Amino acid sequence: MPIRFKALSYIYNKDMPYAHKALDSVDLDIREGIITAIIGETGSGKSTLVEHLNALLLPSEGSLEVLDYNIVAGQKQKFLKPLRKDVGLVFQFSEYQLFEETVIKDVAFGPMNFGLSQQDALKQAAAALKLVKIDESLFNVSPLELSGGQKRRVAIAGIIACDPRIIVLDEPTAGLDPKGAREIIDLFVSLNRQLSKTIIIVSHDNEMVYNYCDETVVLSHGKVVYHGPTMELFDDKKKLKEFDMLEPQIVSFRNELIEKGFKLSKDARTLKVIAREIAGQVKR
Amino acid sequence: MNNLVFGKYIPIDSFMHRLDPRAKLIGLFLMIAAVFVPKSWWVFLVIGLMLALALLMAKIGIKMIVQSFKPMVMMMIFLMVINALTVKTGDVLFTVGPVQVYSDAVFNTLFVIVRLLLMISITTLLTATTNPLDLTLGIEWILKPLEVIHFPTHEVAMMVSIALRFIPTIIEETIRIMNAQKSRGVDFENGRLAEKISAILSLIVPLFSVAFERAYELADAMEARGYVPGAKRSRYHVLKFRFVDYLFILICVGALSFSILSRFYL
Ligand SMILES: Nc1ncnc2c1ncn2[C@@H]1O[C@H](COP(=O)(O)OP(=O)(O)OP(=O)(O)O)[C@@H](O)[C@H]1O
Ligand SMILES: [Mg+2]
Repeated sequence: MPIRFKALSYIYNKDMPYAHKALDSVDLDIREGIITAIIGETGSGKSTLVEHLNALLLPSEGSLEVLDYNIVAGQKQKFLKPLRKDVGLVFQFSEYQLFEETVIKDVAFGPMNFGLSQQDALKQAAAALKLVKIDESLFNVSPLELSGGQKRRVAIAGIIACDPRIIVLDEPTAGLDPKGAREIIDLFVSLNRQLSKTIIIVSHDNEMVYNYCDETVVLSHGKVVYHGPTMELFDDKKKLKEFDMLEPQIVSFRNELIEKGFKLSKDARTLKVIAREIAGQVKR
Repeated sequence: MNNLVFGKYIPIDSFMHRLDPRAKLIGLFLMIAAVFVPKSWWVFLVIGLMLALALLMAKIGIKMIVQSFKPMVMMMIFLMVINALTVKTGDVLFTVGPVQVYSDAVFNTLFVIVRLLLMISITTLLTATTNPLDLTLGIEWILKPLEVIHFPTHEVAMMVSIALRFIPTIIEETIRIMNAQKSRGVDFENGRLAEKISAILSLIVPLFSVAFERAYELADAMEARGYVPGAKRSRYHVLKFRFVDYLFILICVGALSFSILSRFYL
């Protein structure tokens, strides 16, 4: 069990007249080696939750276990660097963190901070840039000259190059075009499947969550209101209504087909599979 | 960064928050004058009690006021040491090594320190209870007479309100960029000089590029809505004095009169 929140609460502006409890006694286990989505309306505490994972925020109450690290409210942390190397966090609008003169130097910045030699860091940076599909001809230009989508991918490469065991993404596709968004999601799916990285994605995009994430956590007003398999959540009309969420298109499509008398297996969850299954049932 | 209290607006609702910003500004000037005039501890006691009442009515905890003193502690210690070394009147209270500390040194310093603390508290009370935009409206109103000598009050007020408006945004961006760089292994607190410089660069460069981007966006947005510098503008939000505002100013005038009279009679 790599990640375990135990009765964790977080209060912004503690001791001020406008203190705000953003997380309220969260108990949550996130499994290793899968893709977990964190969803919920704006202000429900998603970003606050994930910023605990690499100790950018420390719990006001309760505790948190991540890999072999134990973070307890009120205790000073000694292992920040190794923890932050093992848990890579990619922020919302991460393109604003670029600052080095060249793309490759910027990506190598993280690995060097975590103690790699310049040579090794550059090697890892080049590999990470290749993974995010940044062309070699761009390695030595200034990151500020890139397009928004390219900048985002360079920022993501900056985390991948640190070789974390857990990758956390806060709205990685916000503001990207559909094709760019798709490429980024594919990248994380392949990191998960091929290098068995644990991936946690904060997202507003239910279609993406349905198509790619194994488990889903729903937050509401700082509390976990659902945690379980993504399919079960999106098949449950009552829950969707309760959380005020839209049914993914593919689920509506599937349900309508079943209503019309088609027989679909339980795994028919993508257009491709559904198409294959109903092809034999259509009368010519 | 988040612990910066001095000058911070506390967005809650209270009697003090609802007062007209102009009344509060005038009150601030009157009260600071009232703190500067007197030579007697009695006046400080009265002003202190008034302040405590005002804080109560502003729903601001004493904790916040105490925090606003923190940046001044070094200065106060410095003041104490200088006075102990230089003031040589009154009785000798005690000796520290070769230095004899006189009673006047101690009492004068304490007097100055209390005066400073009262001033800071009064200013904190104003900024904590007045929304920055209202504050600039108030400042603009007070500067109005200067328009006779072609002082650009409106432009200055606009600049100040934009600057004030962007302070929280810039602080937010700073925290966000710091978090992003911390996630890449930057340590902003410890490290050798070279590491420190690289850490600061990793913050400053993105911050500048964000700030410029925001500035361009704002300029475009203002132009798109037809903002012309110097053009005559009407107001959506019109300030209006109410009875309590006059009462508030009257009380502050009373405090100032009391402290002026105290110089003659106490
Ligand atoms: N720095 C801060 N200071 C004070 N309150 C904050 C701060 N950051 C967040 N909050 C508050 O905490 C709550 C949770 O915020 P959080 O950013 O975690 O929400 P979120 O689920 O990530 O929302 P979004 O989908 O808009 O990103 C919100 O009510 C927000 O107003
Ligand atoms: Mg968020």
